[in-house]
Amino acid sequence: MADADEDVVQTPPTGQVEVDLSDETQDFRFLNHLNFISDTASPSIPKRGEKDFEPNPTEHQADVLSASRDAMHNALSFPRLHRPKTQIIAYYALGGYAAQAELDAQQDALQVKENQKPSESTQKKPPTDASKPPPKPVNISPDACVLVPIPKGQYFKTMGQADRKNRVWLLPEEALYLLERGSLDIRWPSTSDPDAVSIPMSLQAAYACFVGHGGLTLERFSVYTGLKRLGYSFLRAPGWSDEIEDTEEIAPASEPSPPKFHGPGLAGILGSLFKWIHDPRKTASTATGPIVGFGIHRHYMDVYRKLAIIPWYDPVTAPPSKLSDTTPPFRVVFHIYKPSTPFKKSAPPAPDFRVAVVSTRDQTTMPALPQLGALLESTPLDPPHGEKMQRMMYMRLRHGYRNVVMAVVDQGVVSYLRIADSAFGKEKLFETKGGPQGNKRGGRGPGGPNRSKKR
Amino acid sequence: MASQPDLPIPISYVSGRYLLFSIDAVTYLRREHNICGVLIGTLPQIPQQNVFLGLPLELMPEEARLLVDKGVACIVDENKAHDSMNTLLEEDRRRYLHDLQAQGLHASRLHADRKEQQKEQALKNRLNDKNANPKAKAAAAAAVQAQTPENVPSTPSKKDDAVVDLFAAEDPFTPSKDTASASTPSQDAMGITPATSYPPLSIPPSSSHLSAPAVPPSYPLFAHLHSRGYFLSPGLRFGCQYTAYPGDPLRFHSHFLVVSYDWDENIDLMDLIVGGRLGTGVKKGFLIGGAKKTLDDVESEADRVDSVRTFSLEWAGM
Repeated sequence: MADADEDVVQTPPTGQVEVDLSDETQDFRFLNHLNFISDTASPSIPKRGEKDFEPNPTEHQADVLSASRDAMHNALSFPRLHRPKTQIIAYYALGGYAAQAELDAQQDALQVKENQKPSESTQKKPPTDASKPPPKPVNISPDACVLVPIPKGQYFKTMGQADRKNRVWLLPEEALYLLERGSLDIRWPSTSDPDAVSIPMSLQAAYACFVGHGGLTLERFSVYTGLKRLGYSFLRAPGWSDEIEDTEEIAPASEPSPPKFHGPGLAGILGSLFKWIHDPRKTASTATGPIVGFGIHRHYMDVYRKLAIIPWYDPVTAPPSKLSDTTPPFRVVFHIYKPSTPFKKSAPPAPDFRVAVVSTRDQTTMPALPQLGALLESTPLDPPHGEKMQRMMYMRLRHGYRNVVMAVVDQGVVSYLRIADSAFGKEKLFETKGGPQGNKRGGRGPGGPNRSKKR
Repeated sequence: MASQPDLPIPISYVSGRYLLFSIDAVTYLRREHNICGVLIGTLPQIPQQNVFLGLPLELMPEEARLLVDKGVACIVDENKAHDSMNTLLEEDRRRYLHDLQAQGLHASRLHADRKEQQKEQALKNRLNDKNANPKAKAAAAAAVQAQTPENVPSTPSKKDDAVVDLFAAEDPFTPSKDTASASTPSQDAMGITPATSYPPLSIPPSSSHLSAPAVPPSYPLFAHLHSRGYFLSPGLRFGCQYTAYPGDPLRFHSHFLVVSYDWDENIDLMDLIVGGRLGTGVKKGFLIGGAKKTLDDVESEADRVDSVRTFSLEWAGM
């Protein structure tokens, strides 16, 4: 990853270094080749181009630069248009769902009064169905502040929460993301007066209103929108707001029952029985004598097992800590789902990634061990499984038993670190014949945070 | 394209960060003041990727401070400024809506024109393919006929730049300009989400501007390098404070990984080795520096900039 920023000069394409195009500023002239206005275009991202080493006073260079800047200007000033057929209109409701529900109740009461004559006063609202559904409990976040009366299109499969009238409420980050990509037309200011003229909300207004609302920081939004663009689905995690009451029960993925300490070669009663047969005279004592005492040692394994006297940390048996033990910003704020994961808003599966968002300007140091420990322990146990993991020890170590992704944001630039809780004590090297198996490259620097590209 | 926005340029202060929403301001600052910032928004034309990003532009506090100190920009509390939206007069709103509608109408016309153009192009291509086929002759004639009247209005020959230029233009769009080319059937206007809120809001008075942004201790080094013509961007990707580019990052690779130290600060030798090796590994120099004068010595940050000294390290043993 390190040299991604430079042209790969000498290396022939056999190595096929994976280049992350988003890692550097790309020449916007590439965008000229893309056909924007036509709706059928599914533009592909151009390959990276050549850059010059340093400025020189040639006219050629100046021309190229100004062409690049012009292209950038053009690309950035492209307007956000809504076709009449696909336009989705939303309303900014400052008070959120609670205030709107109150308003609705008032309106309903009015309607009941005027029930004799069919009222036409509710043009703006979607028609309430004649067959009123029984009031079911709605669970809408108090932070949701954008109301979509007629939700249509694909976006609401993964975003928003529907209320009783089948209107969808969007969280600030969802609304801002949709508006920014030109998929949502938000009207404001919303007043109780239905005749007031509401105007389209500009991008600037949307940032001013939504960022800073309900715990949404610009860093969190950068992470949200960056991964959203790549197709990931998001849910807010319980750690979202800073003052949390401990509501989430830590998912008991597997009941930890084994004893806390793994002394030398403790492997159940049966094991100790065998050991007793092998080594009937307990000549060894860590306090007084040689660790591996006299006796018949039939196998190296026995000797190694006896030598393993240092107690080690087992993530499986460690007690889960409470969410409130974590300190912001080292707290999971997003649950993220891969595009391939079947995601249902109403019944979200277990997340693929748990992400904490850290700003480099507010937090300049690595988290301390207690902070990191609490963060890791607030995630459920995720032991390595699968055939590949069984085989490859280093992969197992890298995967760890708990993991969390830390998104580090420096002024709009995001890096992702995956932090895993590795259990070296669980890997008994002496039990594997002929040394460890697996990918040698993966073994570099285990235990530390391994950078993982989430692709 | 070389437009000059009104100075000072308002920088939006949103939730502790500094943002720019006006494309003219963005290109102007980039061209005239070597300030790039980081684009953080989604490009509406290609929303599903992270290679090319769009507005808004996030500025580092250092960049905002530099511009404010130069008198080029001012800081506006955008949240407060948007409170005045509620007090906006009804007729102002209506007028604004009307403007937007006119623009939307124009956009949908352009869109229709372009579609027409494409259709023609496709037809032409197909005809060229089977030119030998005598059957196609009649169709070709028909196509040419259909094409000729279409060429009279000037709009279809223009590229999509036309849309862009139009919306970037300062003066409000006048619908009368377009009535000449109204040969295309009238359509529903497209909805538009504008990038900025000015208009309909009026520019906030200078009394409401916020004070210059607080900057980290690395600011003198930042300002020093910037004054020497370097373009600086956040250094997270290389674990440094800034990456320094000799020219516009659009066209040049960065040359230095920049880390600032206080004048009397002890520097861990290991940090130098880490930086030197990493920098050389990615074909950049590792640059350290700092200001000799402390804040107690001088009146303002700007006076410290002159006392900055810089050193660059290269790993020679590779």
